[in-house]
Amino acid sequence: MSSKQLVVIGLLGSTLDSGSKPSRWQKWRPTVSLFQHEDLLIDTFELLFQEKFSKLAHLVAEDIASVSPETTVNLRQVEFEDPWNLENVYTALHEFAGSYDFDLDRNDYLIHITTGTHVAQICEFLLTESRRLPARLIQTRPPQKRGANRSEHGHYTIIDLDLSRYDEIARRFERERQDDLSFLKSGIATQNSAFNRLIEEIEKVSILSRDPILLMGPTGAGKTQLAKRIYDLKERRHQVAGPFVELNCATLRGDQAMSALFGHTKGAFTGAMKDRPGLMKAANKGVLFLDEIGELGADEQAMLLRALETGRFLPMGSDREQSSDFQLIAGTNRDLREQVSSGEFREDLLARINIWTFELPGLRERLEDIEPNLDFELSRYSDRTGTRVTFNKEARSRFVKFALSDSARWRGNFRDLGAAVTRLATLAERGRIVLEDVDREIDRLLATWRGLEDDTGSSNIAFLRAMKGDEYVENLDRFDVVQLAEVVAVCRTAKSMSDAGRRLFAVSREQKANPNDADRIRKYLLRFDLEFKEIQAFG
Amino acid sequence: MITIDGTMGEGGGQILRTSLSLSLITGTPVKIKNIRGKRRKPGLMRQHLTCVRACKLVSNAKVKGDELGASHLEFVPGEIAGGDYHVKIGSAGSTTLVLQTVLPALLRANSPSTIRIEGGTHNPLSPSVEFLRASFLPQLNAMGANVELQLERHGFNPAGGGAIVATVQPWTSAKALQRTEAKMNGIRAHAIVSSLPRDIAVREIDSLKERLGQDIESTIDVVDSDGPGNYLAVTVEYDSISAHFSTFGEKGVSAGAIARGLSDRVRRHLKLEVPVEEYLADQLMLPAALGAGVRYKTGELSMHSQTQLQTMALFMPDLNVELDTHGAVTDVSIQP
Repeated sequence: MSSKQLVVIGLLGSTLDSGSKPSRWQKWRPTVSLFQHEDLLIDTFELLFQEKFSKLAHLVAEDIASVSPETTVNLRQVEFEDPWNLENVYTALHEFAGSYDFDLDRNDYLIHITTGTHVAQICEFLLTESRRLPARLIQTRPPQKRGANRSEHGHYTIIDLDLSRYDEIARRFERERQDDLSFLKSGIATQNSAFNRLIEEIEKVSILSRDPILLMGPTGAGKTQLAKRIYDLKERRHQVAGPFVELNCATLRGDQAMSALFGHTKGAFTGAMKDRPGLMKAANKGVLFLDEIGELGADEQAMLLRALETGRFLPMGSDREQSSDFQLIAGTNRDLREQVSSGEFREDLLARINIWTFELPGLRERLEDIEPNLDFELSRYSDRTGTRVTFNKEARSRFVKFALSDSARWRGNFRDLGAAVTRLATLAERGRIVLEDVDREIDRLLATWRGLEDDTGSSNIAFLRAMKGDEYVENLDRFDVVQLAEVVAVCRTAKSMSDAGRRLFAVSREQKANPNDADRIRKYLLRFDLEFKEIQAFG
Repeated sequence: MITIDGTMGEGGGQILRTSLSLSLITGTPVKIKNIRGKRRKPGLMRQHLTCVRACKLVSNAKVKGDELGASHLEFVPGEIAGGDYHVKIGSAGSTTLVLQTVLPALLRANSPSTIRIEGGTHNPLSPSVEFLRASFLPQLNAMGANVELQLERHGFNPAGGGAIVATVQPWTSAKALQRTEAKMNGIRAHAIVSSLPRDIAVREIDSLKERLGQDIESTIDVVDSDGPGNYLAVTVEYDSISAHFSTFGEKGVSAGAIARGLSDRVRRHLKLEVPVEEYLADQLMLPAALGAGVRYKTGELSMHSQTQLQTMALFMPDLNVELDTHGAVTDVSIQP
């Protein structure tokens, strides 16, 4: 119940509302019927009429005054040449909507759509749907012949075009949204709340926007897969007519890159034996996914920027512009802003693609998602090969324990996990992964990551140098530098001192009844004149 | 403050109207909950809002919850004031129901009143102006009241557009009333048509005569009003009281069928040999309590009458009501 006044706006029905003899009261007239319902109190009625029906409009207004003394009727003249011409009627009603003073704080508005031509009804619907008429619709119907709910004045229905107000429809929307979310996550029941929030945002953007999307994140975080899922979602919603075209920019250099993206004409360069339309053209009306966009050369960046801004580009060796209407999804594992400052990436191009930017976390920041992904990878393997593979209980728990532990670096993120599962499944005898399989796989993973470890070690020391200066590092024993650099590296990414402690003392703390990890860290750092806060602040 | 549950008895608009009348004349604030609780569309409808506002008008009451569809209402009456009042009601509502709601209050005012009510004057499901004039008001005036009712213009459902004017003098000296004898003097038939062929009325009267006797007196009125309408009534005249029965012509129902339905009701009443018919029985109850008491004989008490007594008892705990039933006849005694 609202204390707002109710205002109805309706067109005079030159046929349905007609009648001047007393017998007009014996037929159903939609406009008058609005005011005969005991449970509908209309404070103000704006009766829109054309001059040629002025007499009828006045009579209808009088009849309304008789059946509803509570109502104020305002007669508003609107003119349209042809009531069956959409342009005529829309223009007239649009003009009315623009000039009418809607006071939404004081009034609720209803548009009566039963009168007028079907074209007029369409126009009223369009104007209401687009909120140019900030109202709900009201439809009236003549009396039923029989039935318990029979009313001599007929019936009315109020229709709110805000579909989210209808419980059943809202539930349907919610189901659809959940489907979409699950779809974007490839059906993986991810637990990580940050990641789930990210997916919710991506879902909204995917459906509502055709602007470029930038996916940032370390290698193996799932950028390519997500880009493909976004495309598939758009396809499900009939928002794309063209294909999904993907290109990893790191794999191409020079002429080859230019030609792959924008195409070339025969003889444009050595080896260009025939015309090639290029991926940009191929992505027309679809989605172009450019992974590692930071690797794109300067010429390609310029051409891409132009294509994004105008939809046009020039194939190599051609003097005829081509056009393509594509949505760009870009992927990168590098900090493009850094690349802009070092002059490797165009600032204007970054600005153009940096509208919807999403940062995909690596696997180590989504530890709670390891198990769901493990199941997903297993079932994907089964689908691919047609063989069902399962873990035995101890094997699974050992693998999961390792996966969550600090020794599992997951440098290649979900790609590493996928590869591990593929190897485990392939080597499993009779579709059963046992403890020995898991132990061997853990060794394999550790070996892979160790191969890259040197790199990490030196970059950790570089960080320590950057933070404390060369002199500080030179005054330490080589023995200490290595250890300290590792501790600092862990502290840098840890959520808290306790978190850092748990990771660094993962083994020894198990033997302690009361491990005070934070304290151990603080004391260790103090020996080197360092504070946890200082490390985190340095970034 | 008295709390009234709108689902009791007949569970409709009558409880609301009676409660408002009683609140006004007793000066008791009232809270009505579950308004029209037994109706398919419960809550305050437009015609009820009009009644509430008319009551507010004559007593300067404080009202909370007088909104369309409201199921709760709080009504705190002020002092009843005589004067000239003007009320308009939409066609679905009836001028006579508005009048009946405020009439007890105006009788209790210190100065005379005139109230003009525009809208429907002849609506199904409400007392007609003819009923008030031929049956109800003569009894009220016999109790010592002085109320005159004029019909300025007929207003038939659905066009409305009619008007009634009531002149009400303060009720100063109340007399007891006794209507227990049913000595019949004659039967009159009355047909009204507006914007419809007179022939309909002629056939209705013919049909009534066939069933109630060729010697009954009859009148046909062709009246001017905004829309079409057809009213048919039979009045049974007794010494000092009349029983009025009425019905409405309906599109698609023959004049004969309309008359038949009406004459059946008259005959059922005549068999009982009581002077007070069902509707008057209901209407006399409140004036009886306001005045100096009433005794009358009627048929079986309707649900409306029972609800009326129930509601009155809540406002007037000292009211003395005696009901004595002999077969289909009820002896009613209401003493303040």
